[in-house]
Amino acid sequence: MTKLRIQKRLFVLLAVGPAFAGYMLFTLYPNLMSAYYSLLDWNGISSARFIGLSNFKRMFGDEYMWAALRHSLIYAVTVPLLILVISLFLAYLLTNRGYRESAFYKVLFFFPNVLPMVVIALIWAFIYDGNFGLLNSVLKGLTFDYDGYYWLGDEKIAFWALIPPQVWGGVGFYLIIFMNAMIAIPKSLYESAILDGATHFQRLTVITLPLMNGIIRVCLLFMVLGIFKTIDIVLILTNGGPAGSTDVIGLYMFNLSFGKGVAGGGMHTYGYASAIGMFLFVILVGAKLLIDKLIPNKQVEF
Amino acid sequence: MKQKNGFADYSWRLLMALWAIGILFPLLWIVFESLKTNREFFADIWSIPEKLKWVNYANAWTLLGVKQSMFNTLYYIGLSLLIGMFFTTVNAYALTRLDFRGRKLIWAMIMLSLFLPGINALVPQYVLMRSFSLTNSLTGLVILDSLGESALYLMLLGGFMASLPKEVEESAYVDGASLFKVFYKIIVPLSIPGIVTVAIFKFMGLYNNFLGPLIYLSDPRKYTIGLNIYYLNILMQYKTNWVTLFASVIITLIPLVFVYVLFQRQIMEGTTIGAVKG
Repeated sequence: MTKLRIQKRLFVLLAVGPAFAGYMLFTLYPNLMSAYYSLLDWNGISSARFIGLSNFKRMFGDEYMWAALRHSLIYAVTVPLLILVISLFLAYLLTNRGYRESAFYKVLFFFPNVLPMVVIALIWAFIYDGNFGLLNSVLKGLTFDYDGYYWLGDEKIAFWALIPPQVWGGVGFYLIIFMNAMIAIPKSLYESAILDGATHFQRLTVITLPLMNGIIRVCLLFMVLGIFKTIDIVLILTNGGPAGSTDVIGLYMFNLSFGKGVAGGGMHTYGYASAIGMFLFVILVGAKLLIDKLIPNKQVEF
Repeated sequence: MKQKNGFADYSWRLLMALWAIGILFPLLWIVFESLKTNREFFADIWSIPEKLKWVNYANAWTLLGVKQSMFNTLYYIGLSLLIGMFFTTVNAYALTRLDFRGRKLIWAMIMLSLFLPGINALVPQYVLMRSFSLTNSLTGLVILDSLGESALYLMLLGGFMASLPKEVEESAYVDGASLFKVFYKIIVPLSIPGIVTVAIFKFMGLYNNFLGPLIYLSDPRKYTIGLNIYYLNILMQYKTNWVTLFASVIITLIPLVFVYVLFQRQIMEGTTIGAVKG
């Protein structure tokens, strides 16, 4: 048996050793370092200067940061709710109503989830284009003339115009999760409800949704945290513009670190960007606690 | 359940059909426009092309850097997948089926990354990569992505391996097989479904990775496919060659459509497992 023990030691050493070292170096260490960076005045090239909490002081007085955070907050409420309602509704129809086309829809509705964010963003850029966009052209067919109107170029509209792409790309993933959760609910529960004369709506609100409480909660958490971390789709579609009207907290931080001086003015302000990153971390924890509180975790047995 | 035909059913079916159109229509529209000439496209976006312009695809492939970026992506994904899958598989085995001191601690430390936001690590990660001179390099991206984060995949595959019965190894040990032999003759073959699922998810994650290449690659000859169409889109605001851009977008989608059609069952099952465990 000692031979086996040596083999085991060797295997663990070779298997876990390099991977764990890589993980520590490329994942854990950078996460810890960002806390330290937030205390520095550093552009990544010149020597770093320790400035204590000055970055945080600057951050709380930074109106661009607050605007970006406000945008993120609005998205974090609207986008998850829309995705939740649409995906739950579609999941219910697909699992509880045996339409002929349901099997095809299941495959199609999930499809946007496998698309790269760049492609989703470009599709919507083509839809919203002023002169050759799909939307204006369809509206024209319905006798509304928006020719030459750039949906993403209008300060008041661009912010809201970014919601449909996020919903469009997000529904498929949750739809599949909700469908599988619905299939797991015993049929017998519905049968007795039908005998008691419950309508579809009653069955949905009294049986299906309460039994899915746990999974809905997890999904909502996933979505909200994801929205706060959003960078790519906004970066590609508007890069925070026009005039900062679509800037979100993740993108603001990203542009402060790597950007070409778009939103906040400066670039490569690593220290300040890291301070915002730390603040974002606090917001994410806060969002999690808030969701835990708002949606009580009722354990349902069936 | 039976097909019903009440008024409500018609409206539900209509709603689902609308959602289906909302997904399909923009995609088909891009395919349609990608087969026209620019002149036809600018004159009227609904006009039927006189002749299907497959040459747009050839132009996108050779003139707009799609070919180069596709090969770059192939290199980046191939190598990351190979190294990453190797590490994920051996680690999933070691961390779920071998007993050794410190195992629980290592597992807990890796799972910690699931709770980190990740977004604040971008800057220190960049500084780290720069100090190793791994920026502006596809190989650098490979190193970052195959060693950097794998907690979710480790959990997926580890869960799969943990569910294999203990007896499969024990009888082999009694027959005098070595641990390495047990691993690659018994554990790996039995874990193929789990390995395939994780590999598909890794593939899609790598193919769709946008921020990594955006941050690290500055040389256009090193662009990945996603980064390439991002810059093409910016370029097209000055150089109006839309039909070729449309063709590039469709070319980008083709590998994903293939993977989706082939592995649709694994993708949908893996989605559920990941969500339930996460």
